[in-house]
Amino acid sequence: MAKVSDQIKYETDDPNRIQDVGWTLKEIWRRTRGIVVTSINLIIFFILWELATTYGNINSLFLPKASAMFQELWVGMTTRAPEGAVFSGSILDHFLHSFKNLMTGLAIACAIGIPGGLLMGGNKYIESILSPYVWALASLPRIALVPLFILFLGFTTTMQVTIIVLSAVFPIIINAWAGVKTTEKSLLAAAKVFGANRTQLYYKVVLPYTLPFIISGIQQGIGRGLIGVVIAELFGGSNGLGYLIQRSADTFNTAMTFAVLLLLIVMSLSLINFTRWLEAKVAPWRNVNHL
Amino acid sequence: MSKSNENIIVAEDLSISYDLHRERKKLIALQNISLEIKKGEFVVLVGPSGCGKTSFINAISGLIPKSGGSVKVRDVEVTAPGPDRAMVFQDYALLPWRTVEANIRLPYELQNLGLSEEEKQARVKNALELVDLVGFEKSFPYELSGGMKQRVGIARALATNPDILLADEPFAAIDAMTREAMQAEMERIVMETGQTCVFITHSIDEAILLGDRVVVISYRPGQIKEIVDVDFPRPRMSNSEVKISKKYAELRDHIWNLVKDEAMQTTRGE
Ligand SMILES: Nc1ncnc2c1ncn2[C@@H]1O[C@H](COP(=O)(O)OP(=O)(O)OP(=O)(O)O)[C@@H](O)[C@H]1O
Ligand SMILES: [Mg+2]
Repeated sequence: MAKVSDQIKYETDDPNRIQDVGWTLKEIWRRTRGIVVTSINLIIFFILWELATTYGNINSLFLPKASAMFQELWVGMTTRAPEGAVFSGSILDHFLHSFKNLMTGLAIACAIGIPGGLLMGGNKYIESILSPYVWALASLPRIALVPLFILFLGFTTTMQVTIIVLSAVFPIIINAWAGVKTTEKSLLAAAKVFGANRTQLYYKVVLPYTLPFIISGIQQGIGRGLIGVVIAELFGGSNGLGYLIQRSADTFNTAMTFAVLLLLIVMSLSLINFTRWLEAKVAPWRNVNHL
Repeated sequence: MSKSNENIIVAEDLSISYDLHRERKKLIALQNISLEIKKGEFVVLVGPSGCGKTSFINAISGLIPKSGGSVKVRDVEVTAPGPDRAMVFQDYALLPWRTVEANIRLPYELQNLGLSEEEKQARVKNALELVDLVGFEKSFPYELSGGMKQRVGIARALATNPDILLADEPFAAIDAMTREAMQAEMERIVMETGQTCVFITHSIDEAILLGDRVVVISYRPGQIKEIVDVDFPRPRMSNSEVKISKKYAELRDHIWNLVKDEAMQTTRGE
């Protein structure tokens, strides 16, 4: 068959079109600058903190030394409570409790939220029946439900997980739902023209299109879920990071309080960055940065 | 041209309207279109932007419902898309999560065309060569330029080897040189395979060079204003005589005036 390129020359014919950029200093800097700048920034921040608390006239009850906080964190994360202890002073024990609850809650929220959102986006009737409840519960500050669930379930892990699920499930539902609804009409048209039946439309177009939406839903769900974790533990319970914050503040162990807060920040950022990475992995077309 | 006397697409008093829910009104995009297209014929639609060209081929493809009249393909009323009709979309409509090759293969996954794997591979390769995207099989659409995306859309339609090719401004985003080469290829394919082609363009030159007939559609409501027969012998693209002939200039002038009248109305907002 006669190729178009037999008639004119094209960009594709040029072997130099894709060039090896190699590792220039500039390229190395471009890739590492984020980490380098952030690290220097944080180091300066903690040094200033340390200096201010050492030489400034600051009550260590309100603001502990940065080094004291890190020490608490280190000790707390490397020791476990002895067998049979009533209260654990180990941060790791509480962290594991909270983390397990968060993951269980998120898993349940995904199991309900993803199919729920997809169904709502895909079926007009289900959508119109469910949407008032979804919006009502999504707009209700979830913290208001905590006393009710303590009443229903007592100070139990089930209560804590329930609060987490309720916190995380709505952003997941709403994002999946929006993903289905906003699926580009021209993509659906193309699939139909080339023979897609209803099932194929869902599997080949709607689901892949919605996947990044679902991931941002989970990302928001993590943020909300973490609030749920802390709230549920602050209100009721005898373990978890929320409880530890409460307890350490009550016992004037501010260094411990700050250590737990720092741990929460690190945990939240890691999870959110993980979902960002996941999103970039599964949907590279969504963040094209040419413009 | 392998044009026969057998009608393959017949539109009778076809009307298409869109509901404008916000205003509780409906917009009549096309009104009383009657057009018979013969098997193997190359019909070009021209007309001002928004006159309903896309709506017309969408009705032939079965993507949108008609509000009146009928469209038949081989005497069967069109109600849904079918494997005998392929389409090149004005806005490319490539799946962004699929590579160029996977996009071209999409039709094979969706419908059973009764092709062996070797046949599919050969066709995909052929189509890629044809639109000159060899070497970009593994690229994703977001890594391509507008014109390259459009060429993928063309390859996808051609790889199904349809009886009827519906092409919505397929060369609009392609540079003048490439476009000329692609026009020549299009003419050759249609001549060789005996495909029927309904082709939309804003370029009057393209319309005259490719079309057996040029259908000029008027603006609001879209109606057929005039059908201009073009009877230059084929192949025309490789024949340098065509473009410099007196008849070509006359045809060009004639269609230009028809379209201009309509375009003037568009800008006056009638
Ligand atoms: N989905 C839709 N909903 C409402 N109105 C629509 C819709 N699609 C098209 N229209 C209207 O129908 C008319 C014809 O549209 P169509 O896309 O068929 O025009 P066209 O001739 O292909 O224009 P262009 O040359 O700009 O592509 C336009 O006035 C447009 O506003
Ligand atoms: Mg159009």
